[in-house]
Amino acid sequence: MAARAGNVSVEIPAAAPPGSVPAIGPSLRWARPIILPIATAAATLLLWQFAAVRLRIPAVILPTPIEIAHELWRALPVLIEQAGPTALDTLMAFAAASALGVGLAVVIAYSPLLRDTLYPNLVFFQLVPKVALAPLFVIWLGFGSPSRVAFATFISFFPVVIAAAVGFAGTDPAALQLCRSLTASEWRCFLLVRFPFALPAIFSGFKVAMTMAVIGVIIGEFISSQAGLGHYILNAGSRLDTADVFAALGVLCALGVGLYGAVALAEFGIRRVYGRH
Amino acid sequence: MSIAKVGRCIEASGVSKVYGAGTAAAVEAVSSVSFTVPHGQFVAILGPSGCGKSTLLMMVGGLEPVSSGNIIVNGEPMTGPRTSIGIMFQDPTLLPWKSALDNVLFPVRVLKRSIDDYREAARDLLHQVGLHGFEHKRPHELSGGMRQRVAICRTLVYDPEVLLMDEPFSALDAISRDEMNELLLDLWQQFTKTALFVTHSIREAVLLADRVLVMTKRPATIVENLAVPFARPRSMALGESREFNEICRHLRECIEESHSRSRALRARTTAWRREPAT
Repeated sequence: MAARAGNVSVEIPAAAPPGSVPAIGPSLRWARPIILPIATAAATLLLWQFAAVRLRIPAVILPTPIEIAHELWRALPVLIEQAGPTALDTLMAFAAASALGVGLAVVIAYSPLLRDTLYPNLVFFQLVPKVALAPLFVIWLGFGSPSRVAFATFISFFPVVIAAAVGFAGTDPAALQLCRSLTASEWRCFLLVRFPFALPAIFSGFKVAMTMAVIGVIIGEFISSQAGLGHYILNAGSRLDTADVFAALGVLCALGVGLYGAVALAEFGIRRVYGRH
Repeated sequence: MSIAKVGRCIEASGVSKVYGAGTAAAVEAVSSVSFTVPHGQFVAILGPSGCGKSTLLMMVGGLEPVSSGNIIVNGEPMTGPRTSIGIMFQDPTLLPWKSALDNVLFPVRVLKRSIDDYREAARDLLHQVGLHGFEHKRPHELSGGMRQRVAICRTLVYDPEVLLMDEPFSALDAISRDEMNELLLDLWQQFTKTALFVTHSIREAVLLADRVLVMTKRPATIVENLAVPFARPRSMALGESREFNEICRHLRECIEESHSRSRALRARTTAWRREPAT
């Protein structure tokens, strides 16, 4: 029996499945979450390139990644110039939505009457397809930048107010009581306890708001504009310059990722500051 | 100040708390409680869960208004929280984004005093409760007992005259709880303050307190006021002595007696309620 038990223990490594994934060296394990998505994206581009060439898909329907890269390189100065107004409108809308959203959430946190009055309506509005309201903003504010900023603010405001209201409401009541027992004013309790408690929720709202603001500005530019990436995409589309549309989409993606990254970076910084004191 | 204060520190007279007064669902959580705590004494309020002892403590701390009666602390009636009163809650309630040291310094920050003046004191306190080397750990990296130790340091750091403790160790396991009792006995030897300690553990009350007030559920009032005769410094070994266990038995009888009385009262009330139907 002892000998057989010994055999079994020897066989275990040999019985490892032959088709198992080759192990990544321990030194590369940290790179796994970076390598896997990039490899997937690269494989998709390769497949796209191969399929477009092999199936002879006309460039006007689906240009190959290489054609798009050429186009991107050619149009890059213009695209960067066009990204300016889009980025500016987005940032203005995001700032307005953040300030309004957090402000309203504070009011909701401190006034049960306003919470009961406003909160159900806010949740209801969150469910309405607000994109359909974009033409109204043009009617109200004209064809300029204000109507685009207002519309983008409008659609990115809801995620902020709802996330922040949930965050403020979720503050540990015992921590607030501790603060009150130390004779702190309501404002000081807010600053030292409620606000830092709600920060993760507020920033999750900010992240959604930033992507919504980009969407809002692009839709605004589709409807009416003389500049911006949305305008550029619409123009290229009407010329059936598909590669140009994709090139502009690439720049738009980079802009979106950059703005989202800025929010994530701000969160990292603010949470560090709060952690230290 | 070297001269010990004499006389009463906390005076409660005829204190009641009614929730939902004037409605059909009115509940009397505390019913005309009177007691006094002299300066420098450690008094435990012992009672079963839901007897209103925590509500009473919150009223003494100025966090809950009284419905009737009055509470005087250091000669002045309580109208709201005071910096001379430190409250320790059932949960450690540490701020999760702050280190142990910063949590201890939190009251200093709230009171807008200079953090630098208190940093050394905070470190010393953490050292004293056995948390040397844990100053920069976040609450989630500490065990339940360690978190409660941080909470003790936080209550002591700004040196309040009166300590109110609301079942501070009830969430801990039995072993950590014994450790915390020992620690509190030790700390008490150095920082003799006036303390009101709420608990549902008979042994904890007798071990820690100079005097035990027994509170019952129905009516929610104090039914026994017992002086604990053991001299300080005390040690955990006290729990083995015969006298200690006799006191515990007496207190248990007090609680049980009031329970059976309230059961009899309830039975009578239900019988009376049934009567009109016949």
